Amino acid sequence: MRMQRPLSPFMFPIWYRFQMTSALSILHRLTGIALSVGSILLVWWLVAVAAGGELFAATHAFMRSPIGMLLLFLWSVAFFYHLCNGIRHLAWDAGYGFELRSAYRGGYTVIAAVLVLTVLTWAYVFIA
Amino acid sequence: MSDTRSSYISTALRDGSVLRRVRHLGSARGGLREWRLQRLTALALIPLALYFVASMLRLATSGRITAAQWLASPISALLVILFVLAGFAHMLAGLRSVFLDYVHTRARLLLAHLFVRAATAILAGASLLAVLKLFLDH
Repeated sequence: MRMQRPLSPFMFPIWYRFQMTSALSILHRLTGIALSVGSILLVWWLVAVAAGGELFAATHAFMRSPIGMLLLFLWSVAFFYHLCNGIRHLAWDAGYGFELRSAYRGGYTVIAAVLVLTVLTWAYVFIA
Repeated sequence: MSDTRSSYISTALRDGSVLRRVRHLGSARGGLREWRLQRLTALALIPLALYFVASMLRLATSGRITAAQWLASPISALLVILFVLAGFAHMLAGLRSVFLDYVHTRARLLLAHLFVRAATAILAGASLLAVLKLFLDH
């Protein structure tokens, strides 16, 4: 059974049919919030570099642990997504790309760019 | 009005006259200022964040260059400071817009704003001190 009128995304999981456009829009906010939390990691690292000694050694060990690497990986995915989709949002804010076709084309481009950038980044880390 | 529209699309991001037209309007009065700040910091963060992440990659894979050496150079110290300032300003604007959408009582909204402002001030302050210490020590 499906309602025939437009619905707020807050009606998901039962009524709302997801489109790529709304999913990407929600993901933009989620990655923004994730990066806000992730900024703690960044500040911690800067402070550890400045403090040096034991704190830096412990921080370095944590970042290289499986949990640390997972956090860094998620940070990089969130970063690349928010960056690429942010550029898409800036284009809209400047008045470009409002047609449905452009919205979808931009969305697929963002997904492809995030995949490529994430794979290249981590391939570089493990090979170099 | 419609004639100029067809040849020139003005938006609040590109055209200052749009800002003049809507200033003091709407429920938030000065709301467009924060909207613009969010977009302008977003523009600044494209090169700054890319520079920061590329530098992290270089540090993670080089083995020879240390983070302390990297931040001792005036250019990288300046760029990291700009990245931190633009990043936290952008974060603050973004989180505030999320709160405005999802926090529905005045008291909780105020608490959320205060908490995020305090946390941002501490995080940004700590980052700036760390970068300045590394820069000035060398």
